Amino acid sequence: MSVPLTLHTFPRAILHIDGDAFFASCEQSRRPKLQGRPVVTGKERGIAASMSYEAKARGVTRGMRLADIRKRCPDAVILPSDYETYSLLSTRFFAIVRRYTPEVEEYSIDGCFADLTGLRRPLRMSYLQIAEQIKKDLDSELGFTFSVGLAPNKVVAKIASKWQKPSGLTAIPGRELHHYLARVPIENVWGIGPQTTALLHKHGVTTALQFAQKPEPWVKKYFSKPFQEIWHELNGTFVFALALGEPTPSHSIQKVKTFTPPSQDKAFVWAQLAKNVENACIRARKYQLAAQRVVIFLRTQHFRDVGHEVELSGPTHFPHDILKAVAPVFEDLFDASASYRATGVILLKLSEAFYGQLDLFGEAIRLQRLSNLYESIDTLREKYGKHTVFLGASYLAHTHAQHADERGHIPERQRELLPGETARKRLGIPMFMGDVR
Amino acid sequence: MPSDNELMAITGFRSTPAASTLVAPLVDLALLDHEVTGRLLSGPLFADLSVLGAVAAGFPSPADEELTDTMSLDAYLIANKEATYILKVTGDSMMEAGILPGDLLLVERGVTPRDGDIVIAQVDREWTMKFFRRRGSTVFLEAANKAYQPIHPQEELTIAAVVRAVIRKYV
Repeated sequence: MSVPLTLHTFPRAILHIDGDAFFASCEQSRRPKLQGRPVVTGKERGIAASMSYEAKARGVTRGMRLADIRKRCPDAVILPSDYETYSLLSTRFFAIVRRYTPEVEEYSIDGCFADLTGLRRPLRMSYLQIAEQIKKDLDSELGFTFSVGLAPNKVVAKIASKWQKPSGLTAIPGRELHHYLARVPIENVWGIGPQTTALLHKHGVTTALQFAQKPEPWVKKYFSKPFQEIWHELNGTFVFALALGEPTPSHSIQKVKTFTPPSQDKAFVWAQLAKNVENACIRARKYQLAAQRVVIFLRTQHFRDVGHEVELSGPTHFPHDILKAVAPVFEDLFDASASYRATGVILLKLSEAFYGQLDLFGEAIRLQRLSNLYESIDTLREKYGKHTVFLGASYLAHTHAQHADERGHIPERQRELLPGETARKRLGIPMFMGDVR
Repeated sequence: MPSDNELMAITGFRSTPAASTLVAPLVDLALLDHEVTGRLLSGPLFADLSVLGAVAAGFPSPADEELTDTMSLDAYLIANKEATYILKVTGDSMMEAGILPGDLLLVERGVTPRDGDIVIAQVDREWTMKFFRRRGSTVFLEAANKAYQPIHPQEELTIAAVVRAVIRKYV
């Protein structure tokens, strides 16, 4: 049982760093009143987006409805998400890690991977000391804690960062890997979903170590390549390279927006959907991607989703084309007797945008015109802010406040502007909130 | 810069009000102004814009080279970008040190305060701004306002940040 999977310690030194309850911690660190109290963010969405450890201890989970949270934890402080501040702190998080290594993968707003391989000599520290130093910088300069895992690859680094949370620092050298994996249920391994877990259970594999100890031919016989790669990483080999540079959406682009109160007004719900389509297209154009397939969905007051998938006649990233294609589907989906609280759109089958094809029916000319039009719209957006020019279809979504209870849903930072700040532009420095006496 | 009449000639408008409508938004943005004579005057922004590299012929301007050694206000006020936060003063406890209610502070997290630094501490779940005093092994907080008593911490004293700059904007 205690035969090491590998004899190397750190052939590669990969860090996974995870912000502890990131959004809730951003809030607690800038408001001393909130420290030690259960804090939940996501008020504007009606569900918990992030919760502090105090709230987790009281049984609040991600995605829990606010009404349920109030029942379970009446003293919880429920705040609207302030994505602007979270993004500022996220950018700082990555910048601090980059003081030590240029190889950083920005995996999510609150997590990243970093490659420390080869840095022991230039930094005159062991890998563990570098990890400690990074954690110390993050904790002290951002004002809340991070959990850090050091391992020979990404899959094991994820296990290490989760090992002790919050504020943990766990190093798993290859030689000791088997001790840790024996205690990790297979479903907790990064990349192993419910389907794979069920299949592994049928073969009597319940821990990560049991999977790692299976012979390679067995793994090849039952599992596809991504799972064979996970198997290699669990054995201490480095397989998954870090995705450096700015993350680009490779598979899909999704935009979902909640509005309150729920609405039965067809024109209003359509306007909400149109605004989401516009936003998704802005993102697609930013990365020069075009979608071949679109999913739209409507969420009722009772959190039931209805949706439909539409194949487009050609890849596009213009709201004009997409709205025309989804309009008949919306007609079918919309039920006049239901109240809706959110709409969403997902752009699928993304490919690099290209309008080179010639045709007989003037399609190329039409696309060129649309392309010129949206180039101008994008230029105006860059200069004057998002949605300076928008479609008539989304007019109602732009003119009505997203949430009727306006004050409760707009983050404090955006309500209390400094002299010279506007609704569209604010100082790019996070702010301490509350009275300073 | 042209007068309204000259502007008519340039644009092809047939009345001076039409011509001035054209420049009115620029005047509103303070990019242009009117001289007493009615001529247009370039606003302050034009003078600040440096167009380094755009001059291809003639003698190079010595000003361009001198400007490479200047720093922005951001760089002047902020030493560690990742650790710097802003906050707004509400109380008057540092009045005699020249910090007034409504002032903005740039503060730095993650540094060890030295005796005499102005710090942002956490007292009774509130931010408080005071002088940090160290006398041997004891530390305490002192206001710059005689109405406030020094704070001698009973337990651990949490210093969140050290004040690096005060900003007062007159608008």
